Amino acid sequence: MTSPVPIDGAGTPRYEGRGSVESSAEIKLSIRHLSHRFGNTVALDDINLDIAAGEFVCVLGASGCGKSTLFNVVSGLLKANAGRIALDGEDISGQPGRVGYMLQKDLLLPWRTVLGNITLGASLTTGASRQDRDRAAELATRYGLGDFLHHYPRGLSGGMRQRVALMRTLAAGRSLMLLDEPFGALDSQTRLGMQQWLLQVWREQKRTVLFVTHDVDEAIFLADRVVVMLPKPGRVGAAFQVDIPRPRTLDCLTEPAFVEIKRRVMALLYSQATLPAVGSPPA
Amino acid sequence: MSASSVIQGVRKVLTWVIALSLILCAWQALVSLGDIPAYVIPSPRSAFDALQGNADLMRELTWQTLTETLYGYLLGAFVGFLLAVLMAQVPMVSQLLYPALITSQAVPIVAIAAPLVIIFGFGLAPKLIIVAWIVFFPVVVNVLDGLSSVDPDQINLARILGGTRLRTFLMVRLPAAVGPLFSGLKIGASYAVSGAVIGEWTASSRVGLGTYLLTANAQMNTAGVYGAMLLLTAIGIGSFLVVLALEHVATPWRYRMTAPAWFTRLPARSPVDRGQNAASPR
Repeated sequence: MTSPVPIDGAGTPRYEGRGSVESSAEIKLSIRHLSHRFGNTVALDDINLDIAAGEFVCVLGASGCGKSTLFNVVSGLLKANAGRIALDGEDISGQPGRVGYMLQKDLLLPWRTVLGNITLGASLTTGASRQDRDRAAELATRYGLGDFLHHYPRGLSGGMRQRVALMRTLAAGRSLMLLDEPFGALDSQTRLGMQQWLLQVWREQKRTVLFVTHDVDEAIFLADRVVVMLPKPGRVGAAFQVDIPRPRTLDCLTEPAFVEIKRRVMALLYSQATLPAVGSPPA
Repeated sequence: MSASSVIQGVRKVLTWVIALSLILCAWQALVSLGDIPAYVIPSPRSAFDALQGNADLMRELTWQTLTETLYGYLLGAFVGFLLAVLMAQVPMVSQLLYPALITSQAVPIVAIAAPLVIIFGFGLAPKLIIVAWIVFFPVVVNVLDGLSSVDPDQINLARILGGTRLRTFLMVRLPAAVGPLFSGLKIGASYAVSGAVIGEWTASSRVGLGTYLLTANAQMNTAGVYGAMLLLTAIGIGSFLVVLALEHVATPWRYRMTAPAWFTRLPARSPVDRGQNAASPR
């Protein structure tokens, strides 16, 4: 079921041609030899990663493994010291505004209604047109916010606020969306509901998703592929293909295939000493 | 919703009426129980009588002082707001101006009044400047706080969404300063009338409540002094309440669940219905 794709610790780009993305699939995002350091700390050490169009990739790692740095570099907020990031083959290093972006903080503006927050992207660029608002209203209605279009965020629950934040990201119209622990602040019941809801949105809206989390279950449940990052220096430890069929239900959390991937991921995360042994594939 | 907000409004007004009445009662009690002669502290009743006896004059005086207060207040608020925006946008200006701002408030306002009269004469100008001098400070400080309180991630989000600098300022930073702006305006509203009185005391070609108060005091017209004081207080409370009402109208997100129809340009409500049977997603 699982086919871990190893990346050796030194970071030689063994990824290329090794099934990170099937060659037939169109590559949406391509990260090559990406390195970044803050002072003497190596935050990212030769990261190589390809993401196919329409793929859902989770980046999993403990805090301090560089996943947030990776996120900031891909979003264009931070320019890495070295390496190349290409979106649809075009270099986007240091260019904010090319990909969608959502954080654990919902960052909703309290003085804008749900609809106003969803159309924020349009308002900040050209001004929200009637079509922008109609489209936002349709999106919001389809994904369970129909009764709250004219509500201020103040009265909404944490889960609802994150829904609005994702709708804002969707409405901005970028084909690649970066989500940085978007459900990290929610209680576990709400989080499970939100994960299923996110998968529905992803399936219907056909976007490419790069999802950062430190929650193993969440990563495996959501992803086509789980990329495990390891700290000091921040690097890609291994990638695990998740071949659990979709649509996935909560039952799959206890399936043997799920548990097997989880076992391997945990082994890699919690005992770096055994790194070469874990997930080494048949040559 | 609307019924309960009406009840809330009535309760607020009642609270004000009761609180103000209590002050008058305490005043009356002090005079009657303490057996204080009327030329030292007159009863509220005789203060009101002194006003009614000179109703026409009092209306004119009140109008004069109210005009000085209002124009000075608007000038101060405007200048304060502009300064805050400028300081928030240009750090260099901010560093240079901040010590100057503090200095401006350290100088006793009475000391500023005299040179202003020398420069600007006995007309309206020095009064406006004194009122503005008092009002601009809380506005600058609060708006500046509001503008710099915006979460850096919020600004990053605006960049990610492709926001222009101007639109990001107008839609993300500026609205965050609206609440603090009103805090500053409320503080200013209660102080502004003092500025007008100080201006009138220094020198005045036209008589206002402040000048009247001095004259009445010199003539041992204690009831007149207290009458003028009542009117000045009324101007102060009135200005505060007007600002409070404006704040209520300008920041509906603080106390409402949904946007009032007049506040935002809404799309036709129809998408809500259309959404149910919309075409398949793209």
